[in-house]
Amino acid sequence: MDHFTLSEKSQKFIDDLRIYLFSSGKNDKEINEITEELEAHIYEAEINNKSIEQIIGASPKQYMQSISQEMKTDIHSWMLYIPLIIIGAFSFSVFGDLLQGTLSYSIIIITGTILYSLLFTASVFTAFRYIAKNQLSRIKELLILGSVVVLSLFFIFGIIIADSFYNSPTINFGIIGSIFTGLIFFSFIITFSIWSKTVVLPLFLAAIHLPDLLLRYTSFQEESQLAISITVTYIFIAGYLFYVVRKEKRSSE
Amino acid sequence: MSHTQMMKGILDGCLLGIIKGKETYGYEMAERLSNYGFSAVSEGTIYPILMRMQREGLVTSVRKESTAGPKRKYYSLTIKGEQALEDFLIRWKQLEENVNAVITQEIKK
Repeated sequence: MDHFTLSEKSQKFIDDLRIYLFSSGKNDKEINEITEELEAHIYEAEINNKSIEQIIGASPKQYMQSISQEMKTDIHSWMLYIPLIIIGAFSFSVFGDLLQGTLSYSIIIITGTILYSLLFTASVFTAFRYIAKNQLSRIKELLILGSVVVLSLFFIFGIIIADSFYNSPTINFGIIGSIFTGLIFFSFIITFSIWSKTVVLPLFLAAIHLPDLLLRYTSFQEESQLAISITVTYIFIAGYLFYVVRKEKRSSE
Repeated sequence: MSHTQMMKGILDGCLLGIIKGKETYGYEMAERLSNYGFSAVSEGTIYPILMRMQREGLVTSVRKESTAGPKRKYYSLTIKGEQALEDFLIRWKQLEENVNAVITQEIKK
């Protein structure tokens, strides 16, 4: 897509509108259509020295809502996203546990993880909608998303504690079951990566589990293994994010 | 009654009228409305209306290159849209007569 420069304020409005519509479950194609149409309008208006307020009125929030109301909610895509998010969340623990031996999960852990994926997705999307429609600054955005992540960590700890206190029925996968489950998750990750055209999931999985696995063959002490493993994971993820941000920047120039 | 409430429906009709005149795009429609005196309406108000009219099959759109700037989306009326415009004109004429009757016979009396 050609890139036409809008003022910073107008660009922020367009970006926020995009996030608002996406997190309201609207169809991607329709989102592109309306944001591109508005971009074209604002571009021409700015050449003629009009302000964004003359276009969207005094309340960006109300304007975003009026656009959103005219768009259908894309339930079809959401039916696909939700199982993807749940399987994605499970894949992190499945691979970690496979490296330790065979798989066995209690009912509390399984239902907890599903509940966690749903709640986490719902709260992230609610947070995004709130941030976008109120056009909050970067710092406030980070604070809100940060608190969602911290709260979700508490939820995970809650599940783990509940699991250690209460004995719930446990499903043991056995050796064959574990290998089979591993293969299913592995093929899911490959399919997901091809479909979404991004390697983010396998890359993060490798960042989390590979250092651990490789360090086991070294003669480092357990504490230093843990410290090195966590550091390598963070460096790896930070490096990847840095690469993505630079690529984004270059493509928008 | 607020200005916005009163404008609802009327803007729909005016947009249909502007599009009937010639195939046109958002910015141009907003300019034309403002030239006709609708300056209190913020320009972007037309987009939710256009989206609804397109969904209801009153208008169709096509994206065209522009010589300066991003691609523009040009709207034109469908047969259903022409019919909606006719209906609007009838309703507007009726409303205008009624309101004028109230003004001349009740208020200015």
